[in-house]
Amino acid sequence: MKNKIFILGVIALLATACSKSFLDVPPETFISSSTFFKTEADYEQAVSGAYQSLRDLYGDAYAMGEMRSDNTDYNFKTNDRGGQNIEREDIAGFVDNSSNMFSNGKYYACYRGISRCNAILDRIDGSSISADANSNLGGQTKFLRAFFYFELVQYYGDVPLYVKEVTTQAGTALPRSPKADVYNQIIKDATDAASQLPAVQTEKGRVTQGSAKMLLGYIYMTLQDYAKAETALKDVTTLGYDLMPNYADIFRTANKNNMESIFEVQCMQGTQGVQSNWTYVFIPALINTYVITGKSGNNQSFGGWNIPSFDLIAAYEPGDLRKAGSITNGYTDAGGTFVPSPFTNKFLNPHIEFNNCDDDWIVYRYADALLLLAECLNEETKSSEALPYLNKVRTRAGLANITETNQVALRVIIAKERRVELAFENHRWLDLVRTGKAIEVMSAYGVQIKLRNSYLLSRTYNVTADKLIFPIPFNELLISPLLTQNSGY
Amino acid sequence: MKKLVVNHGNIKLSYQLLRKMKLTILLLITSVLSCFSAETYSQITKLNVVENNTTLLNIIRTIENQSEFNFFYNEKVNIDRTVSIDMTNKSIYEILDKVLANSTVKYKVIGRQIALYDKNEMEPFLLEVDQDRNISGKVADKSGAPLAGVNVVVTGTTQGTVTDITGNYSIDIPSGSKSLTFSFVGMVPQEIIIGPLTQINVTMVESAIGLNEVVVVGYGTQTKKDVTGSVSQVKTDKLTDFPVSQFSQKLQGQVAGVQINQATGIPGQGMNVRIRGAASINAGNEPLYVVDGFPITGTINDINPDEIESISVLKDASASSLYGSRAANGVVLISTKKGVQGKTKVQFSAYKGLQVVPQKGRPDMMNAQEFAQFQKEYREDQAIFQGTTIPIPSEYQDPSAWAGKGTNWYDVLLRKANIENYSLSLTANKDNLMTSAILGYFNQDGVVINTNFKRLSLRINTEYKINDKLKVGINLAPNLTTDITNGTDGVLWGGGIIQNAILTSPIAPYINDDGTLPLTATSPGLFPNPNWYRVAKERTWNSKSVRVLTNAFIDYEIIKNLHFRSSINGEFGTRKTNFFIPSTSGYIFDPPPRRTEASITTNTYYSWLNENTLTYANTIGGKHNFDVLAGYTAQQYKNPYEYMYGRGFPNDQIKTLNAATVYNLTEDYNEWTLLSFVGRVNYNFNRKYFLSAAIRRDGSSRFGSNNKWGNFPSVSAGWLVSDESFFPQTTALSYLKLRASYGLTGNNNIGNYTYYAAVANTNYVFNSVLSSGKSTTSLGNTDLGWETTAQTDFGLELGLIKDRIFLTYDYYQKTTSDMLYQVNVPQSSGYSSIYTNIGEFKFWGHEFTLTSKNFIGELKWTTDFNITFAKNKVMKLGTQNAPLGGQYDNPSITQVGSPIGMLHGFVFDGIYENQAEFDAAPHHATSAVGTVRYKDISGPNGAPDGIIDNYDTQIIGNPNPKFIFGITNSLSYKNIDLNVVISGSYGNDIMNRTLEYTQNLDAVFNVTKDVAKRWRSPENPGDGLHPTTNTGTPLARYDNSRWVSDGSYLTVKNITLGYILPFKNSAYFEKMRIYCSIQQALVLTKYNGANPEVSSNGSSALYQGIDFTAYPVPRTFTFGVNLNF
Repeated sequence: MKNKIFILGVIALLATACSKSFLDVPPETFISSSTFFKTEADYEQAVSGAYQSLRDLYGDAYAMGEMRSDNTDYNFKTNDRGGQNIEREDIAGFVDNSSNMFSNGKYYACYRGISRCNAILDRIDGSSISADANSNLGGQTKFLRAFFYFELVQYYGDVPLYVKEVTTQAGTALPRSPKADVYNQIIKDATDAASQLPAVQTEKGRVTQGSAKMLLGYIYMTLQDYAKAETALKDVTTLGYDLMPNYADIFRTANKNNMESIFEVQCMQGTQGVQSNWTYVFIPALINTYVITGKSGNNQSFGGWNIPSFDLIAAYEPGDLRKAGSITNGYTDAGGTFVPSPFTNKFLNPHIEFNNCDDDWIVYRYADALLLLAECLNEETKSSEALPYLNKVRTRAGLANITETNQVALRVIIAKERRVELAFENHRWLDLVRTGKAIEVMSAYGVQIKLRNSYLLSRTYNVTADKLIFPIPFNELLISPLLTQNSGY
Repeated sequence: MKKLVVNHGNIKLSYQLLRKMKLTILLLITSVLSCFSAETYSQITKLNVVENNTTLLNIIRTIENQSEFNFFYNEKVNIDRTVSIDMTNKSIYEILDKVLANSTVKYKVIGRQIALYDKNEMEPFLLEVDQDRNISGKVADKSGAPLAGVNVVVTGTTQGTVTDITGNYSIDIPSGSKSLTFSFVGMVPQEIIIGPLTQINVTMVESAIGLNEVVVVGYGTQTKKDVTGSVSQVKTDKLTDFPVSQFSQKLQGQVAGVQINQATGIPGQGMNVRIRGAASINAGNEPLYVVDGFPITGTINDINPDEIESISVLKDASASSLYGSRAANGVVLISTKKGVQGKTKVQFSAYKGLQVVPQKGRPDMMNAQEFAQFQKEYREDQAIFQGTTIPIPSEYQDPSAWAGKGTNWYDVLLRKANIENYSLSLTANKDNLMTSAILGYFNQDGVVINTNFKRLSLRINTEYKINDKLKVGINLAPNLTTDITNGTDGVLWGGGIIQNAILTSPIAPYINDDGTLPLTATSPGLFPNPNWYRVAKERTWNSKSVRVLTNAFIDYEIIKNLHFRSSINGEFGTRKTNFFIPSTSGYIFDPPPRRTEASITTNTYYSWLNENTLTYANTIGGKHNFDVLAGYTAQQYKNPYEYMYGRGFPNDQIKTLNAATVYNLTEDYNEWTLLSFVGRVNYNFNRKYFLSAAIRRDGSSRFGSNNKWGNFPSVSAGWLVSDESFFPQTTALSYLKLRASYGLTGNNNIGNYTYYAAVANTNYVFNSVLSSGKSTTSLGNTDLGWETTAQTDFGLELGLIKDRIFLTYDYYQKTTSDMLYQVNVPQSSGYSSIYTNIGEFKFWGHEFTLTSKNFIGELKWTTDFNITFAKNKVMKLGTQNAPLGGQYDNPSITQVGSPIGMLHGFVFDGIYENQAEFDAAPHHATSAVGTVRYKDISGPNGAPDGIIDNYDTQIIGNPNPKFIFGITNSLSYKNIDLNVVISGSYGNDIMNRTLEYTQNLDAVFNVTKDVAKRWRSPENPGDGLHPTTNTGTPLARYDNSRWVSDGSYLTVKNITLGYILPFKNSAYFEKMRIYCSIQQALVLTKYNGANPEVSSNGSSALYQGIDFTAYPVPRTFTFGVNLNF
């Protein structure tokens, strides 16, 4: 008996003991980075993951891209003064601070994307994947990294420049790099991308050589390096893009990634978590949205933003076909009464469920390239050369050709053209900043809007040079002593 | 040879017993079974007795401790006589000759028995009797009242009986039986030598604080006297009548150093237990629960409290270090009921009661008339402020029309609710088989409609003694619980039904005149709301849990005193939650009609533990007592989880997921493993000097690959000062023990896979097809390890007036370091945080436990009192010592130099009552006359800057109590017993975050009555607390000191009055007791919310003392019965 007990005991010990593997319990429902980045499929998935950050970036991009400008405004909610409302109003009224969740959100989303790009770019050259895959996937990744940094440098000025994957706590904090250094990195990445990427991708939605050239065009325009901008943008015109015949068709979900689209953030409705919902954010806040979207639901807590301003509505020339494709004057309520409450109908597409839409976000499109090229040429004092590009866009809008060749006058015309052509597409604020018009235009606009809306406090729309960029998030400064804040915040 | 444990007290009793038999001589009986012949022992035993100026009694004790001799004497022998003696290696005869020289006392040695008698009395004589026979008698307490249910056992066997309602017993004893042991809870066990007697009547006395009580400690038991760590044991017999579902509710106020709060009244939930203020940032504060040696992985709340016999709380490191990397928050050892020696016992108990929500603490919201008045005034003030006409909706135009009408939304959700409990237990101990079975059914309807908790539980514990060396046991405890919770608690945007309901317009009806229920409930200017009555009533939120705890062991005595024990423990649990929200239900901003949704969550866990231990205990040289433990254990835990969600239901009729058309699925899986070695040595010299050392070595799958193993050692020592010869032998100071300990424990609740750099799914779309994406979403850390707590404890145990008053004092100091800390990193790195071991908290405190037997006669009155002064301080945090929390919108801050989890916000400084005051004071960008005024604390340069902004927040309250206490008074007189349990907390603050909404000035919610006294104009400034409605409430909604109030409380947790019915010799049952009880009888507090024990963030130490509205804790009235068959 005694022996049996001992044997049992020994067996029990051996069954569980001394096996080192007993303590190795790797996760089963997710993988860890040490086991990832092996195969070509891994790299493909990592690149898709980098693209995914674009979805974070574009969810609320209208707040800084459009509401900060004279293009859009919001429906004031007297009875809902929650922080998420006030903080968007603050951005619109130039009274935002460094704790603003919308300006912070963009900063964080860009860096999440950059971190994913860095993880790929650190490894891809040492990997065993094919040269073609290396070139294409690496090119896409470099484009994305350049794109994210370009967002950052335009919106925040000097920013920390991470070009390697962060793997340790010590590596997480960097000081801000001068804008010039950031631009050098952006240009390097975008140029590499342009050379590595094919003109056409097998899968629609991936960035192409055209996307990279367009990005380069924007970068050089922002740096006022017009010669290089002209080269890049003219290259874009050789890559087979063309305007959609009908303006409103550009934004139909049936025409995703159409011939005009140069860079488009991809979305898909359904339960897989890749849907979009800006349609519901951009319509008035309603107890039941059925009267606008055909789907029942209550968007009172999140609707009523990015509402066309009185100024934008007035900016359309008579006969401009784009107006009807961009703005609707109101909606008919359940009782059959028309409610005059303008909103954008650009993204009003059929969808299956409330607050779950199929709309992509077009970042760059050919009309944008044409107008940017026109602006470039005009700045290079090649004003007459600019006209064909400008008029191609106007023609589609049903407007007469422009013949003005005075640089100053044409500059105003092109700016207005960009405003209405690209309204609601998050270009207006950066256009105003790039062209040096932001303080002048927004101060004047502020005077007007304050007269119209009594809820606006007197301190709003005090547009100074400090307000041309946004603050570094307050919490970032709290954590990292290496960082400094932009002046005025 | 088994030594009879006979102490001073029961020798005297033996004497009393004998005297009752009218014998004028002492009878001494030796057993014929002795190994040595009687005379041999007394001749060969050599003793060392060196005592100076001590009493005869102490000499007797010394001899008894060193040998197997037992002394008998009567009151004519002066045992307090002072003697001195210095004899080594001498026989008992030589020693007694010397000690008793020059006295009138003579002695006689008969085997191991020594009789002392006065020389004028007759010499004792020896009787040897040995045959099967029957013994009967009566057991009574000191007052002469019969004691029912006393265990009477032939010593050293399982043969026994219990006394009946009249205190009588009858037992057949086999030949060779030496003595009978009488035992009863709370009484000193007595061993009476049978001798020639056929009738033995016994008087039991209450145990003097039970120094011989067996205390369950980690991997074994010890007598209380021998324990060198800080261990508090609670026997549940005094707590059986509490009408509560969870054992931790019964423990409230019972144990010094253990803070137990009932944060919410949700049936079956809401208890937060913290031992010695244990706090961690991320790794949890809850203690480790060990049920019959098995560290359980599921919730402790499922366990039927009636199954529990005793609870040991291991507080210091020496007591808990054998649980190593899981012990830093303290360990709670739960022992379930085992079969007891004696005859088969069947007990049935039941109670039924009613729960009601007390009036005090209910939210004081405006009624319909007041609300209409407020809405009217709001618009009138707006019109003046903006200089425009603002129409007043018809609903608000004539407030007086609402007098006596409208809806009290809080009341609408409440009801009087039933509670009932039935428990049937059977214990048997026969033919070496010991069994106990407990069947329980508990059913509690919640006081909020559509809430309920039910539990059906069974426990069967069996132990079989195969032979003298081998013992096996199997315990099996399945239970089934169902609960209906319904999301009652929390803030409105989190869906908390109670907060949402009280903020709903009181002029909106919850039921129409025709009896139908409206879909929505709102009035002009308010947010769209569902009818919260319907939400509460119609939403399905049910969980069913099945849990089986089982263990089996064998215990084999390899050689004498060397035991090998091996156990296999298994735990299986599964919890399935069904959720269904019909189209008629909804949320704020999302009222019906809305889409119908349903989900099923299945959370299953399995855990097994194998433990193999060797223990050896022995005594060397008569005085060196030691026991040794060595063991090896392995445990594994697996936890699959599935969540299924569906929507797109055609209607509300079919609530199951098959009616949905759109689905979402989530699956998760968690696993951990733990390998451990344990070792311990306990040593004592003469039961006077105690030393103990223990160690556990844990290897855990949770720790980073560079840091897999950890060692957790401890040492402790004790000194029984009162047993020293120099200690004055007075009845005033009867017992004194000092003890000290130091040790390390760990906290491994750091997540199962935290050290891995996780690559998560980050999907995208190409070509309108989902493209699987993957990204590293967290920073890994292969150095990640457990948190370590180093703890020092000094204890003192003091018995006064023959131990009738017993005081235990502990001072502890502990430092938790290497805390699992989610260090925020700049998000520009791509990550928001990294898990590291960093930071340091320090805890220290004083714990006093006092037990006083105030009356021990016919009227018995015992008071147990405990009080704990606990403090803590944050010593270190992340690399920059950056505080946790403390942003301007965060109500809590944990910062270096302060206690953990301080309340944080602006300092309320009244209202800008007029323009002059406004101009003179600092203000915020949104400030105006009539708005809230905060103090200008600081600015970007560290000095007040005249601007109210983010820099002006500071600590505004301390949620850590200065002391917590508990008082239990137990009284009994004849057949009546009364038990009153009080627990309380002093000096802690609570932030009533509900006020952000219930005093919101945007006129979008119903508000508290005092909002009527708000600022309306410089001429009508109100009470100086509530700002104007004109500008809304931008700044008034941030955390500020006006929401902080004193959370001290004293709660009479339970009052039970019982009566034992005076039946005699009933054919049906032995004993019947009826009682009535009030749970949560009285709450004394200045706190303005519903429950001063509230904690909306559960047991989190970092965010404690915050009230976001919780389920009310009801007052419960019950009537119950206990029947013994």
